[in-house]
Amino acid sequence: MKTQKFWLFLVGSVLLVSAIASVLVLRGRTGSSTALIYQDGECFRTIALDDVDKPFSFTVAWEGGYNVIEVERGRIRVAAADCPDQVCVRQGWISNSVVPVACLPHRLVIQLESAGGGVDGMTG
Amino acid sequence: MSIKKLTRLALLTTIALIIFMVEAQIPPPIPIPGIKLGLANIVTVYAMFALSPGDTLAVLVCRVFLGSVFSGQLMTLFYSMGGGLLCWLAMLLLRRVLTKKQLWVAGVFGAIFHNVGQILVAIALTRTPGLVTYLPVLLVSGVLTGAFTGLCTQFLLAQLDKIGQGSGPAG
Repeated sequence: MKTQKFWLFLVGSVLLVSAIASVLVLRGRTGSSTALIYQDGECFRTIALDDVDKPFSFTVAWEGGYNVIEVERGRIRVAAADCPDQVCVRQGWISNSVVPVACLPHRLVIQLESAGGGVDGMTG
Repeated sequence: MSIKKLTRLALLTTIALIIFMVEAQIPPPIPIPGIKLGLANIVTVYAMFALSPGDTLAVLVCRVFLGSVFSGQLMTLFYSMGGGLLCWLAMLLLRRVLTKKQLWVAGVFGAIFHNVGQILVAIALTRTPGLVTYLPVLLVSGVLTGAFTGLCTQFLLAQLDKIGQGSGPAG
């Protein structure tokens, strides 16, 4: 008969090892999303969000209107726009969302793509 | 198989199935597929230590099969069956070494091997060895929930012993 202490130690070490391993795995997984920016259905710019060291922003023009897109490490948003509904601005930052940012009046879509996917959708 | 035994196993299967179905209605706290409390494990640990391994296997297989039929997710049948069988094997070994105050260990290792079985089946079905990276996350939750369900069984058996309804045919 093993003692209570033996089992506590065994279970504790399994817990510790898997906790450390999951932290490593989860860290590795978040480092892989890419923003694809579409205008009128065409992807004109891709940004690897995890390689962004310094936040920056740029303006996309569309038939007299504009969207200001702001990028930080791991996330992206439309910071300002002169479109009538402002839906894209109000959506705020996206980082891993399945829902893309879309500005319909300016035909602008920002979609995130992660390289590490594959697990979701497999289970029923 | 005597009527008494048949009734007992049917009752256990029913209890396990009800626990399983009720638990399936609880929205998952963490949006990772495969992570859950696994309360039906209580019945498995109980059967393993109060009844016999053969009885446990019967209850387990019936519960897993009926559970995936009733929840309408046939894919989970394969995952749960793989997990369930490996869990049963692990407990088969553990029941020889554990005392009544160490039943929580059976819960933990049952959960661990359930997770390992699930992942193995998932890897075999999808041919994606990369899924193994997913195992540590499952194990963390498995150890914690397994300790919980194991403790539940430990208290259950202790109480049943007090009223003289504890382990039936021992060994």
